[in-house]
Amino acid sequence: MWSTDQRNRLAMEHQILQREGFSQFSVYHHSAHDSYYASGLATSSSSRRYNLYSPIPPGFPSQRPPLYIIDPNPLLMANGTAISRLGVSHAMHTLTPHDQGWVQICHWRDARWHSGIVLQKVFLKALIWIEAYEQHLATGRDLADFVRTMAEAA
Amino acid sequence: MSTNDPVQRQMIREAMQAVAQRKPGRSKLVYDKTKRTIVAVTEGAQTPQALNITADDADMFGVITVSSEWLREKWPELNRAGILPVAFSSWDDGDALTQSELCVQASPITVLGTFLLDQYQAESSQGLAILLERTEASSSKPDVFVSPEGTRYRGQIVQPAQPSCQPSDIVFADVEPQLALRRSGILETTILQDKTVLCIGLGTGGAHVVVELAKCGVGRFLLVDRDRLSVGNVVRHPGGISQVGRLKVNVVRDLILEKNPNAKIEAHALEVGFGNKDLISELVRASDIVICGTDNRQSKLLINELCITANVTAIYGGAFRRAYGGQILRVRPKHSPCHQCFVAAMPEEASDVEVSSEVDANEIAYSDQPVAVEPGLSLDVLPIANMLAKLALLELLADKSSTLNTLRRDFDAPWYLWLNRPEPGTPYADWPPLSESSDEMTIKRWYGIYFDRDEACPVCGHFVASLAASYGLDPSLLPALPAEE
Repeated sequence: MWSTDQRNRLAMEHQILQREGFSQFSVYHHSAHDSYYASGLATSSSSRRYNLYSPIPPGFPSQRPPLYIIDPNPLLMANGTAISRLGVSHAMHTLTPHDQGWVQICHWRDARWHSGIVLQKVFLKALIWIEAYEQHLATGRDLADFVRTMAEAA
Repeated sequence: MSTNDPVQRQMIREAMQAVAQRKPGRSKLVYDKTKRTIVAVTEGAQTPQALNITADDADMFGVITVSSEWLREKWPELNRAGILPVAFSSWDDGDALTQSELCVQASPITVLGTFLLDQYQAESSQGLAILLERTEASSSKPDVFVSPEGTRYRGQIVQPAQPSCQPSDIVFADVEPQLALRRSGILETTILQDKTVLCIGLGTGGAHVVVELAKCGVGRFLLVDRDRLSVGNVVRHPGGISQVGRLKVNVVRDLILEKNPNAKIEAHALEVGFGNKDLISELVRASDIVICGTDNRQSKLLINELCITANVTAIYGGAFRRAYGGQILRVRPKHSPCHQCFVAAMPEEASDVEVSSEVDANEIAYSDQPVAVEPGLSLDVLPIANMLAKLALLELLADKSSTLNTLRRDFDAPWYLWLNRPEPGTPYADWPPLSESSDEMTIKRWYGIYFDRDEACPVCGHFVASLAASYGLDPSLLPALPAEE
């Protein structure tokens, strides 16, 4: 299922994470299913912890990997409702949520993704999203107000 | 027929029949220079009787078109029985009858008839009867058919489809040779006949490209698109209102067959996605060139990956939003920048796409920030499609002798840019007016633009190796990934 190029690419993605200051995230190989995922714990500047999970799709790197926050779940907005209820939201920079209610962070849209983008940048955007989310919790303003377009941040 | 006088009509009919059949008759048609009109001169009459025939009457006869190829195939049967049934599509109240075997899309009205080798059988036949009589006339005459043995026959109607039917000319059409003759002056049609074009995305642009290539004589097409033709498509797409609801692959298949009846076509109604990568990969490997007419980034990247792997040239074409312009990228694997190199080098240009459908709009919309469907005019898409077809043709002709070879030095760049208008809010808004510029970039001109391949491209280059080198790692000896948590 996975080509040698894909396996080498994922091995390199892991190395980049470890060597570029993102060692809290790793790429894992699920040997029983021969599947890959990237995950790790992100800690915000206010010391809250978020468990991030990115199942690597079979078309990676040409196919965009989704990135979910699997804990806390549900992830709530300032008004107490679940972010996942918004679906694809510009105000909160989210894409279609997982069936289990996990919020999908909008790091790149499919229309902007390409295979030159490395997972380190995906997790970097997730860290930015988390900081903006906490600003949203503090102020009630849209998360988008605190994040310039993700393209600029990259 | 411009005259409504029944006497005049009858005279015209008889006179022209006599002329057409080259039989001695009682009248003949003569052009009267003084009156600047055609007159019928009746034998023995003192003065010619003027007929009010104008140029409009030149095409007064209807036409019955028969496939010579079909008749040659059926010749043994006709020879044996002396009679051969045939069906025609009837158009324009019977003005044109086209043999059903020639019709990709038939008329709702069918006329049945028979070919006869013996005129006495006409009495027993029903409907239209066409007698084939031996003739010494040249085989270049449209109403002369050459049998497989080389004998020439003239076709003539011995019994009309209905008594009230007006006379018709018979035309024997040798379709493929006649089409090839029109192309042979400029194209290596024999080369193109054996070429296979895979077209993914059969919207306005893609459909136009493959129909143009079919006209040039390309012999085999693999068509991929999951969509159906909608009413809204009709103002742009070559398919018309009568095809609404049909799968675009089938609509375009028929459009190709209308232009190149011998083309071999595979229609695949499927979405291009990573889920059917293996099938798309098979199609790519079976192709001489891939035309990508989708506006979807993910599908373009997938096609790019498969074409690079299979070493098949791909051409990506698309209009900018509202078709204010457009661009074409030609990717010769390992020799020119690939689509991944393009999106990495020019992300804004690569993302400027036309939003011509709900699917396209949803691709970039949010639930709280909808995106309007804003298709451009067909008029603005077609220059891009024409250019794409020309580039594809050059690739298919490769290094073979062709009049088009002189274009190779002109079309050397990988990326081509075209502007229909200086759209506000784009980098092209301040381009000078067409009439004021001789050496600056303007609208309505093609620009071939060069840019380099990315040697570290993840698709056509050495991405992992170059990253590994920067970390002092051996790419063949990367540490194993940690086991699952």
